Amino acid sequence: MNMPVTQCLIKLHEAHHNLEDYQGGVPRWCSGCGDNAILAAVQRLCRDENLAPERTVFVSGIGCSSRFPHYMKTYGFHGIHGRAFPIAQGVKMARPDLAVFVNTGDGDCCSIGAAHWIHAIRYNTNLTVILHDNHVYGLTKKQASPTSPRGLKSNTTPRGATLEPMNPLTVTLGVTNASFVAQAVDWVPELLFDIIQKAYHHRGFSFVRIIQRCPEFLPKMFEPWLHDPGRTLLLSHPNGLTISPELSRTYKNQIEHDPSNLDRAREIASSEDPIPVGILYHNPAVPCYDDLHAVSAMRTDEQIRAGLETELDKVTVWPDDSAPARQVA
Amino acid sequence: MDTAARYHEQQLFFSTGRRQGVGIDAINGLGLRPALFAYYRDLPRLRYDFPLVLVDQGPEAGTIRSLSSVVDEMLHEIAPRGMDGERLRKHVLRLEREVRTLLAGGGSGRMSALWSQAAPLVAVPGDPSATSVLTHIADKVQLDGDLVDCDRAMPARVLTHAWQAAQQRKGKAFRAIVERLVVKLSGILRAAFIHSAAGQQPDALRASLGGTHREVFDFAMMSRLVARNAPKDELPASRRRRIESALAVLKAQPFFPDPRLTQRPESPTTFNFRFDNCAAAAAAYRERLPSLAAVVKALSIAELEVEGAYAEAQHDAFFEHFDDTALSADDIAMFPDYLVCIPLDHNDAPENAGLMDMLSAGLPVKVLVETSDLLEEAAVGTGHFAFGVRSSRLANTATGLGGVFVVQTASSNLYALRERLAKSFAHRGAGLVSVYAGAGATGDLPLYLTAAAAMESRAFPAFTYDPYAGDNLAARFSLEDNPQPAADWPVEPFEYADENQQRVIEETPFTVADFVLCDPRYAAHFARVPRERWNAAMIPADEWLARDPKSVGDMMPFVLAVDGEDKLQRVIVDARLMQTVARCRTFWHRLQEQGGVHNSHAEILLARERAQWEQARAKEQEDLRASTMAAAGGNGATMAVANATAAVTKAATPSATAPTAAPERNPDEAWIDTARCPSCNECQTINDRLFKYNDNKQAYIGDVRAGTFRQMVEAAEVCQVAIIHPGKPWNPDEPGLPELLQRAEAFQ
Repeated sequence: MNMPVTQCLIKLHEAHHNLEDYQGGVPRWCSGCGDNAILAAVQRLCRDENLAPERTVFVSGIGCSSRFPHYMKTYGFHGIHGRAFPIAQGVKMARPDLAVFVNTGDGDCCSIGAAHWIHAIRYNTNLTVILHDNHVYGLTKKQASPTSPRGLKSNTTPRGATLEPMNPLTVTLGVTNASFVAQAVDWVPELLFDIIQKAYHHRGFSFVRIIQRCPEFLPKMFEPWLHDPGRTLLLSHPNGLTISPELSRTYKNQIEHDPSNLDRAREIASSEDPIPVGILYHNPAVPCYDDLHAVSAMRTDEQIRAGLETELDKVTVWPDDSAPARQVA
Repeated sequence: MDTAARYHEQQLFFSTGRRQGVGIDAINGLGLRPALFAYYRDLPRLRYDFPLVLVDQGPEAGTIRSLSSVVDEMLHEIAPRGMDGERLRKHVLRLEREVRTLLAGGGSGRMSALWSQAAPLVAVPGDPSATSVLTHIADKVQLDGDLVDCDRAMPARVLTHAWQAAQQRKGKAFRAIVERLVVKLSGILRAAFIHSAAGQQPDALRASLGGTHREVFDFAMMSRLVARNAPKDELPASRRRRIESALAVLKAQPFFPDPRLTQRPESPTTFNFRFDNCAAAAAAYRERLPSLAAVVKALSIAELEVEGAYAEAQHDAFFEHFDDTALSADDIAMFPDYLVCIPLDHNDAPENAGLMDMLSAGLPVKVLVETSDLLEEAAVGTGHFAFGVRSSRLANTATGLGGVFVVQTASSNLYALRERLAKSFAHRGAGLVSVYAGAGATGDLPLYLTAAAAMESRAFPAFTYDPYAGDNLAARFSLEDNPQPAADWPVEPFEYADENQQRVIEETPFTVADFVLCDPRYAAHFARVPRERWNAAMIPADEWLARDPKSVGDMMPFVLAVDGEDKLQRVIVDARLMQTVARCRTFWHRLQEQGGVHNSHAEILLARERAQWEQARAKEQEDLRASTMAAAGGNGATMAVANATAAVTKAATPSATAPTAAPERNPDEAWIDTARCPSCNECQTINDRLFKYNDNKQAYIGDVRAGTFRQMVEAAEVCQVAIIHPGKPWNPDEPGLPELLQRAEAFQ
């Protein structure tokens, strides 16, 4: 035997799951929505990595994309707008043994949740973050989001969006402790899966921006890219993605990019046309907050109780004015 | 008169080892040492690897540092730039020298204590505060530990220190596992108690509540309420027994006992893991194996219980007969390693037999074998030196056992190898450290220099064999710690002043003859030749060895030495010792081959491949030239050949992501480029029997007859990634076909 007895026994009777085992409710997303592609890729990841549903958590904020936890038969937390990151960080801190994913949209992450986003990158908590970027607020019927292109007419910008869009990749790459940044598009499912898988295997804050179609409110937005594969730039590298020969038949526009090269990653991330797809940056050496803040010893029930008593004693009104002296173990 | 006749007495000495006539002197009493050691007269004045600090306090506890590196680090922090800093630096370096002198004089103790002892010795005239400043500077150092010089006891102390550090790390990890499981198992029992009838009794409820407001509650009423609503899931008796039994074993485990518990009178038994002979270590291992198996069993049961994965139907039978035969290497690796420090020169035959048994069985044991005398005569009495054959044979044999981490080195090199030692102790399984301690020589050289000479001269080369470093010998076996490992002998520049006081730099090799020169027991193998009798027939020993024996003729090998007054001398080496030097070089060549240096197999293969490649290339160019000449009619042939060669080269370069050819398809058949399907549900919304999802939730044509051609065309039109190819209709009677076929044309 090459592994401890315990691991042998656990593996021997380990449950194996298929794709349907991870399917929660029936998605309410519009037909043709790019969220479906992301859901399929994530369910495939769970199956291939044999993630135990009871040890997997999807945390989201508010928006179309944030309905994601409802469609996964795992633990989930459909949080409040922009607060997916702190909730996920809390879950991971309390239960480091869980696989924690964050599903957030361009409004949820880049607008109301921007402050949490920036600091979550800096903390480099071990999370797999999927930014569903469809360039629009879809759940509330078409308002401009921070990533909407300039000139987009919407309910909140009837004369067209005034500002240039924010680029979530360059923002992430500019923050201290960024450790994994990648971009995928929902219309190349093979790479979508590969990228999410790489992100899952990275120990740290893995940020994957997925450019996705919104067929309901922005049906024409990505047509030029869908019809011309040359406008999608695939990034390959021995330390990044390997592009299959079958895919290369359609997507011939490829370059080799070393994911450890931060300057080059920033340069590539700035490109909007062609859309770069692949691992832009990967630095496994950045320390995780989970590790830096890990508590070495487990607290016993007695220690927890003593600690709680001490804290509660501070605000207790004592009937006889004689507060007992407690000791925190 | 020719040279041979003039220097007959030198020839005679070289051939027979007998000195006759004038002009050739015995070296006894001359205080000779190898020329390259001229710089090392006063070791305490030099800053080098020793003494070592065995750090046992501060954040670096468990590491091994050299005193010089500690001092350098401290100076970097405390000595400001400028004159003040320079003065302080000077004082501290003097103090460091005093500490080194104290140790060389037989002193011992902790770094802080020796520092305080040395501070008054560095008294600065006119500056009484300097001593107190130097004393207080010691407080700036964040670490402390025993200081050890390169002496007889040093290898065992260093290895014990490294082993203890490894065991502490292991113990910390092990205790964390045990602690977690104890807390979790206790939690299960506590939860079971709370849910039980006993836990819902008034007294139990009273005990569970904080003290101050206890009296305001009616616990009898609370008990009735709780009992009515509490879940009725009592812990099964078998599970309770299992958990309690595992808890008891884990709490009393004697391998890495909780240091908080060992102070108490009821503390569990603890084991000793350090031995000085293999038999005792093996006996202890055998005796403790059942206890070890019991702890592993408890760990496994606890882990399964905590995971909620214990299934009595499957696991009961397994654990019923659980004993040491069920243990895996990973299980054993969690427990302490045994350390056996065999005392100097106790590595005799019976001990060796026991040692090889332990190593070959892969027991978790780390063994230190020390050799003090490389130059003892071989046991068979042939007059040959043994060259540490006992220990070096052990180390070489151990590499053949497969799973043993082997380190061979001289004691002077232990500090440089500290990371490898740490790796060896972290290694799962057996380990052997074979050290030449330099204690056998009787000359006036410090042990540090004797040990360094053994390694430098290839008499006791350093090597490491890490069985888990890779799949091949190149990754596992390393000679890189030897000086200039690709050469027969290391060659260093030796600088001196000649008779005209001019600086001369001479590249000087360090051979086994230089090493033997350090040992006065073998002075008879050397003869000094006065400067006026130096002649062209005397050549350096390495050059003599490098020559073809047939062409050596009357040449005589010499080594460069310096006497007690640091005057340069040439010393002839006799033929008998040169045979030994040659034999040692042969050993070294064998090690080099093992380490990938001048590997004969590789060189033969390389030569063969090169010849074949050159032959093929010549033929290819010849063919190319002939065909180009024919095509170009003899004009512009050179350019054409260059272009054609470039074309061949380009065609031969494979592309990492070269696209494959599209598969042949029947144009009448409907198909989907499934790999590109983004699972958007558009086609399934139209007809989920016609369009189905595969295991990866990507669409393919399920049953083409389950839908109409119209649905096929509509799905193709609505598919945003345009991967549906409708083919031809299966039903020729379907209405509106001409129009549908026209619409389908764009997607075929």
